[in-house]
Amino acid sequence: MNPPDAEMIAKGQPSQDPPEAPRFLMVESAKDKQINADPLMPFNVVQKRSGEIVNFDRRKIAEAIFKAAQAVGGADHLLAEALAEQVELLLHSAKGGQHLPNVEEIQDAVEKILIERGHAKTAKAFILYRDQRSKVRRQNFNIRQVQMGEVVRDNDATDLALFIQTSEDNVAQWDREKIVKALKKEAGVAEDTAQKIAAEVEQQILDAKVKRLTSSLVRELVDAKLIEYGLEEARKRHSRLGMPLYDVEKVLTDRNRENANIPHNPEATNMTLAETINKQFALARVFSTDVADAHSRGDIHLHDLGFINRPYCSGQSLEYVKKFGLSLPNALSIAKPAKHPDTLLAHMVKMSAALQGHFAGAIGWDAVNVFFAPFLVGMSDREISQLAQMMIFEYSQQSVARGGQAIFSDLNIYWETPKHFENVPAIGPGGEYTGKKYGDYLKESQRFAWALFEVYKGGDGTGRPFFFPKPQAHITEKFFLTPGHQEYLELICSVAADKGNTYFVFDRGETAKISECCRLAFKLDDRDLMDANTPWKMRYSALQNITVNLPRIAYLAKGDTNQLYKKIDEFLHLTVKGHQQKRKFIEKLMNLKDQGPLALLAMEKDGEPYLRMGRVTFLIGMLGLNEMVQHHMGQEMHESEEAYKFGLKMIAYMHLKIKELAKEYGMKFVLEQTPAESTAFRFAKLDMQQFTKDAEKVVKGSAKDGTVYYTNSTYLNVAYQMNPIDRVKQEGKFHDMIEAGALTHIWLADSHPRASSIANFVVKSFRQTRNAQIAFSPEFTTCNSCGKVYRGLKDECPNCSRKTYEGIKRIK
Amino acid sequence: MEIKGFIETSLIDWDGKLVSVFFLPGCNFRCPFCHNHQLWKEPQKVETVPWQRVSGFLKGKKGWIDGVVITGGEPTVHQDLPEFIGSLREMGLLIKLDTNGANPEMLQSLIDKKLVDYVAMDLKATLDTIYSQAAGTKVNLDDIRRSIEILMTGKTDYEFRTTLVPLFHGLENVRQMGKSIKGAKKWVLQQFVPQNSETSMLKHVWPYAEEYLVKMQQEGSKWVESCILRGISEIAADQV
Repeated sequence: MNPPDAEMIAKGQPSQDPPEAPRFLMVESAKDKQINADPLMPFNVVQKRSGEIVNFDRRKIAEAIFKAAQAVGGADHLLAEALAEQVELLLHSAKGGQHLPNVEEIQDAVEKILIERGHAKTAKAFILYRDQRSKVRRQNFNIRQVQMGEVVRDNDATDLALFIQTSEDNVAQWDREKIVKALKKEAGVAEDTAQKIAAEVEQQILDAKVKRLTSSLVRELVDAKLIEYGLEEARKRHSRLGMPLYDVEKVLTDRNRENANIPHNPEATNMTLAETINKQFALARVFSTDVADAHSRGDIHLHDLGFINRPYCSGQSLEYVKKFGLSLPNALSIAKPAKHPDTLLAHMVKMSAALQGHFAGAIGWDAVNVFFAPFLVGMSDREISQLAQMMIFEYSQQSVARGGQAIFSDLNIYWETPKHFENVPAIGPGGEYTGKKYGDYLKESQRFAWALFEVYKGGDGTGRPFFFPKPQAHITEKFFLTPGHQEYLELICSVAADKGNTYFVFDRGETAKISECCRLAFKLDDRDLMDANTPWKMRYSALQNITVNLPRIAYLAKGDTNQLYKKIDEFLHLTVKGHQQKRKFIEKLMNLKDQGPLALLAMEKDGEPYLRMGRVTFLIGMLGLNEMVQHHMGQEMHESEEAYKFGLKMIAYMHLKIKELAKEYGMKFVLEQTPAESTAFRFAKLDMQQFTKDAEKVVKGSAKDGTVYYTNSTYLNVAYQMNPIDRVKQEGKFHDMIEAGALTHIWLADSHPRASSIANFVVKSFRQTRNAQIAFSPEFTTCNSCGKVYRGLKDECPNCSRKTYEGIKRIK
Repeated sequence: MEIKGFIETSLIDWDGKLVSVFFLPGCNFRCPFCHNHQLWKEPQKVETVPWQRVSGFLKGKKGWIDGVVITGGEPTVHQDLPEFIGSLREMGLLIKLDTNGANPEMLQSLIDKKLVDYVAMDLKATLDTIYSQAAGTKVNLDDIRRSIEILMTGKTDYEFRTTLVPLFHGLENVRQMGKSIKGAKKWVLQQFVPQNSETSMLKHVWPYAEEYLVKMQQEGSKWVESCILRGISEIAADQV
């Protein structure tokens, strides 16, 4: 079958009177006179899919109809022509001739006429063909929905996590003694009580005439008895963790409906299952009841409970990999230090994957281009560009790694050689010192930085932005003194404008940071800067992140400012307790050394464990400052100077308070802007249940569809159309107090500024504000049907006109 | 001078600059694809932005806002425009003027008095009968030619811009238009947004596909130093 060419309908020679003289266009002149318009004149031009306007040619329609007819055995050319005439009439009458028909409408009309005139078979052939063509135009891409350039992690599985599993065990010989043993060993129940309970349970089972027992059922019956006996503590210790069969089946088969971001593959479902049990274990055993309850209630949020068995996130040094090669516990082989740049890259990516299995969150790499530089001497631009491409694709495509997720990775990139590395002896191929300093490799370092951003600018195979690894571009005083910085700034700003990737990290004065996890930063203190002389030691970690529900504090204080401070203290003490408990648990695992699950973090290649427990930080996140202020003051922070200043005061207080707590407990507490958007939903949801009257007045979103949320961290109301200058300035005033990193997003929506305008804004933000980090967020719409990506949020795909909302995913 | 619209901060209206944008009422053209038509149809229905708000903002953003973009409507229909710009100048602001080029005298005088730093002039269509159709009113083409000449020989930075509407501009028209501004520094080809059109009939017209716009840009590039596309939304094409 030779299908009719639908495009041919519209094709034709460019009209003799080119479209610049539209003959049917009705235009009103200033004097309301019509120019060159004749509403009754049949149209003679049509619009092609490309937007071009060409001559209308009825023969093309006849041809298409004839071909469709031929496909089902027809042979009447005259009939096809007659039908084409009717199509033309229909098109004409539909809009009274004032209207410029396009290919889609012509095809619709053909279908209509064929069906109306009783040519069902031909119509079917035509529709089939049309459908084929539109399928060809679409290629199916599935883009993961990403908000604000950050993959949203699902923490909402918490709901599931609190169920208890009833899985089947081996069928073994019934033995009452086993109940007694378990009660004594696991729950510390006295012998006689244990005997009594076991006997009663046995009787119950006999009475019920149960044919086939499962150990989980027995355990439940025993637990019920423990409740009867008032042995609540014993019951807790004796309880079983797990999930209902029904839920497991759902996890294994169905995609997570609430969160399409969660990948759906065996590794991902394994992770969900494991996380569920880890969470239950953490709440039951790692944390004390008051901390666990505070989490469940929503006073605080313990992040990544599903990863209780590892630290939260980390900042890494490539120097470690360069110096020690790849020698990991449990690995079947050991790699000596890399001699070639691509080998070093392979080591770095593998190390990242290994670390991803040992940290809950992001893996940030410091000064990547600086540390790669000694390997790049003598390489051509092409080779360097190839290496940059490999690096970014390797990271962004590691969705085969843990839990089927890409590695949450960050590359810290410098145009200059950072001051603290300038005179540090450089490590080159083979892990040997090259005899030069890092300052001597500025040229190679810059070429690599340039190449990396060129790759970001191009996007992936279809031009879409890369989400990982995130480029953290450091802007320092020295940056502005380094030749070529203007051109480089323009390049990284064009990446920000086109793709939104670039994070601008502002290190003013003597500040030095390693950034990761979108906004988290390890601010380097004097001791850390000493480490810079042995840069492989620069490995930092935040052990845990606990977020405080600020609006709830306001509800509890009931408008009394003294109470407000009291409640802040109370909640902060809870977070301290939570941090101590997690530290204790991780220490326990670390102390098992190479026999424990954290052998990798315990390995001591340079005389101290990879994870330096003495140097870890403990993050205290805050959420909903805006709603806290709104409840307490009656105004949101953007609504009055007074409200804004009150917000500043609250954070200043928390900042001082945790400094005190840090001294008191000898732990490095730092404030952080909570990254997990899901916590903003969780807190709001819980407050709507427990503090309905207060919460409903301040929550954002819509209570009707159950999508209420609080404003993230210290942000001002995101929906408020705020001047970007004010936003950067006002949010920036919080940033000095939020040492673990803070970020302001500048929303670009569908606008597409030139790089030079972005650069202008960045320089002013650096010079005239205290803002720690900014990023520009364009909005994109991706069509799942045809795969095209557009700027801005669209209701229908501009390419294939898919209107179904599901078909289009939005990247904010 | 009544200001009918005010964008506090824009990163897109003047390349490399952070600017505020003023919309002035009134226009001598009636372009069917105009998307600010309320400004000339019913300016009295658009609220006037109090000058205090505008000046208060500009004073508060010293060191941030580099300049002001004056657009409309058509700013040059106001006889007191030079005076108005003068008062902005005193605040230390750079000025970009958007104009349709129908008032070459005022354009010349603004440039002579160094009251503008950048001019963006619309080139609505080919300089023939289509021009009046695209402008929706009888246009004196000599005025347009004069304005083109003023910009191309003057010392002020400038750009020409054309909104590409399938009914008015084919590839051949782009060639013709390019010829009429041959050697110009910059020509911006803008995507047409049907939804906002003044004329309801145009709301139905498909805008050019982005691949086709790229073709037109290539044609445009033959005639001017730099020909760029603006307002296209597909990512892949953005890099052109």
